[in-house]
Amino acid sequence: MMAPLLSCRGLTRRFGGLLALEALDLEVEEGSVMGLIGPNGSGKTTFFNVLTGIFPPSAGKITFAGAPISGLTPQGVYRQGIARTFQRSRLCLPLSIFDNLMVGNHRHLPHGLWFNLVRRGALRRKVEESFVQARELLRIFDAALADRLLEPAGRIAMIDRRRVEVCRALISRPRLLLLDEPSAGMTHDETARLMDDILQVQQQLGLTIILIEHEMGVIERITRRCVVLNYGRKIAEGTYAEVSQDASVRQAYLGLS
Amino acid sequence: MKAAVAVALLTAFAWFLLRAESQAAVALLLGVGVVAGVLAPRLRMGGGSERLAHGLAFAALLVLAALLREDDFSLLLIARILIVIVACLGLNVQFGYAGVVNFAGASFFGVGGYTAAVLSRSTGMPHLLVLVAGGAAAGLIGTLLLLPVLRTRGHYAALVTIAFALLLRTFLEVNDTLGGPQGLKLPELRVGPLRFNEPVGLGAFEGSFYLRYVALALLVLVLAFAVVQRLERSFAGIALDAVRLDETAAASFGLDVAWWKIAAFTLGNFVTGVAGALSAFMIGFIAPNNYNFAESLIFVSILLLGGIGNPWGLSLATAIVVLLPEKLQVIQEYRFLLFAAMVILILLFRPAGLLPRPMRRLGQVR
Amino acid sequence: MSASLVAQYVMNGAMLGMMYALVAVGFTLFFGVLDVIQFAHGDVVAAGAFAGLLAWAGLSAAGVTSPALLLVAVLLAAALATALLGALVGRFIVLPIKGAPQLNVLLVTLMAGTVLREAIRLFYPGGSQPQRFPALLPSSGWNFGAFHLRLDNVILLAAGALMIVGTHLFITRTRLGLAIRAVAQDEETARTMGIDFRRVVLVTFALGSVLAAFAGVMDGLYYNEVFFGMGLLLGVIGFAAAILGGLGNLYGAIVGGFLFAALQTVGAVALPFASAYKDVFAFGVVIVLMAIRPTGLIGERVSERV
Repeated sequence: MMAPLLSCRGLTRRFGGLLALEALDLEVEEGSVMGLIGPNGSGKTTFFNVLTGIFPPSAGKITFAGAPISGLTPQGVYRQGIARTFQRSRLCLPLSIFDNLMVGNHRHLPHGLWFNLVRRGALRRKVEESFVQARELLRIFDAALADRLLEPAGRIAMIDRRRVEVCRALISRPRLLLLDEPSAGMTHDETARLMDDILQVQQQLGLTIILIEHEMGVIERITRRCVVLNYGRKIAEGTYAEVSQDASVRQAYLGLS
Repeated sequence: MKAAVAVALLTAFAWFLLRAESQAAVALLLGVGVVAGVLAPRLRMGGGSERLAHGLAFAALLVLAALLREDDFSLLLIARILIVIVACLGLNVQFGYAGVVNFAGASFFGVGGYTAAVLSRSTGMPHLLVLVAGGAAAGLIGTLLLLPVLRTRGHYAALVTIAFALLLRTFLEVNDTLGGPQGLKLPELRVGPLRFNEPVGLGAFEGSFYLRYVALALLVLVLAFAVVQRLERSFAGIALDAVRLDETAAASFGLDVAWWKIAAFTLGNFVTGVAGALSAFMIGFIAPNNYNFAESLIFVSILLLGGIGNPWGLSLATAIVVLLPEKLQVIQEYRFLLFAAMVILILLFRPAGLLPRPMRRLGQVR
Repeated sequence: MSASLVAQYVMNGAMLGMMYALVAVGFTLFFGVLDVIQFAHGDVVAAGAFAGLLAWAGLSAAGVTSPALLLVAVLLAAALATALLGALVGRFIVLPIKGAPQLNVLLVTLMAGTVLREAIRLFYPGGSQPQRFPALLPSSGWNFGAFHLRLDNVILLAAGALMIVGTHLFITRTRLGLAIRAVAQDEETARTMGIDFRRVVLVTFALGSVLAAFAGVMDGLYYNEVFFGMGLLLGVIGFAAAILGGLGNLYGAIVGGFLFAALQTVGAVALPFASAYKDVFAFGVVIVLMAIRPTGLIGERVSERV
């Protein structure tokens, strides 16, 4: 039995008097898809934010691929191979789709001033290479979108923006992908298609995914295990079938006792 | 061909405007200019290769300088415009690309000038190197100023640069070693065998000594333009834009936000400082009251009028902002008021400016 | 250093602190309610002082001599001018571009301040020169050894304190104040709860500006002169003080104002050779403090959701 790719012990995050995460224990096996569910405000996005270094944990440890990462900056977490999408779309709208994808691939691209200002031939080659790479990735999600790389991200439909955002997270070939409600605002069909495309990439890269979702159909279909949060605490863990039958989960979501 | 015609017309217009003596003539020409400006987008003069545009603009300036070879004042204006464009290109890297506010642009311009004054008066440093040193001093001081507020929000940088703009002037006036309120005189600019204050003798005619300054300013401008354009059209340019547009997302994808801001700020101030040093040599002396907060706001106005992030728009705006008060004497006194009001209108109704920044098209396979 | 000299410094510091606090409270109110940095605020202060001066000049020319009457007229004129200007800036300049990036709002208010400042310089008779401001408060005082405690300063301090207390009571005890606090905390929810956002904005701008009026008149009475650029440094200091205390925090603004004045006084004492350096010293310390504690000594309202 291999050690889990990601392991959190006693992860806690306080905001003043508010306990957003309380002593969270969580493990994710490499190559699996884990669902993170819970009512609004239960701490799911906070968990992502602490994991990616946007907020330091108030207590607890996070271990990724055997190395401790709690307390790393967001830049440091990214360099470990963890990439994410955001709950509210955070693309640079005035920039082209290509530019947005290049932001995601930051750690594989040359950013030195000497290279970028002086070595223009090498820069051009690198840009062409990246263009092809970006187009191929985007083609998995939508062939038409792949031909619109040089359009501003602000001018494409919402669903295409979500696709771009997912690709931005995927383009650096991370080991762990964090998806924060990727299907928000989409129809069932659009969601299903997006998830299928993500799974296709997952198989290619051997990717591990943590998925925050409200649509239970998606969770049921593609996750191996789920963790349910409520008021910052883990109240259930297991397969979807198991947690959906759990009494405390039903209480949290539906208020039944 | 269209482009060449357009440039020729523009050059002619510039010549007429610079040579115009009576206020009525100036007003008339400006009217024509405004009408032309409004009509131009409809005539679709744009398009075509950018290299061509660069070449034509360069040629146009040479032609203009040749036509005006004996007109001291016009050449001085042209040189001044070119220098201010360079200074604003520096500010543009900070503001337009990295999103770092700098309300002390004129102060860094002045730092470059004062450095040039002190170095050229008390050392034998070759003058071209002095220009570079002026830029370096401005870059260094800017870095020191920004470092403490790097990880805070934009309005802190605003506060720090405004305070610097206000206090530097007082500091300069109080310090007699830097000339106090009278300022300092600079020696003649010398590059190799060229003496910049001598009239230019070219065969049959004698031209104004400002010709050399125009030439040098043009050279510096070409360099600055090249650096800034290359920066924008690269992975570094994408990084700067990402930092400006969304710091959190940028950080989540590994961009060192603090580093990019400092790099942009320093580079920008370096460019502005070099421009300031050149300007000081050209004018021949330097005094504190030319480098105050109000002048910094004029620089900011240029950026916003031109279309923030667009070097061509910036150039056009500089020409307007520098020429207008000089030719239309009546507004000379009111220029701070006028340009401030203009910026308010721009921000309310056309925030993208005269020539909005075009989207970067990296990756276009040719 | 003698006790009376210390007392003198303390008095000067207290006066300055009160002025800075009044301006800082304005900044913090605007930021709290609208998330904007109202950079024209300092120049609104100056405009208030000049409006008061105009009123005095007009009334004196008309033959009014009673200092009490003139003082009331000056204050009224200043308050009216600043309230009007503040509301105008809020309504026509800030509100329209509220959705734009914060940088744009900063720029637009900065330019609005410049327009005000230049307007005073260009259109007030002799505006580019400092103007004498009348002494309208009783000039008597008490002597404590070598220290002369002036009655007019005491009055100014007391009045300033009253204004601050009044603002505090308004914010905490009235319905309108409650609305302001609600909007400051969460604009969206406040609007959904039926609070008239526009009205709150205008009232906030008016309130902040009235405080500005008082600061402007106080400045004029204390120094016996005003000039068109007085708002610039005052505005920057007020802004720095508001940041020092934590933007959006009323008590932080007051603390910040007095702290900045204290820093200036310490700087003036420690560096007697050039008064300009006291400002450099004070700002230097502020910058260092901002680097150490960016959210201010008491705490800034952070509004971003990730």
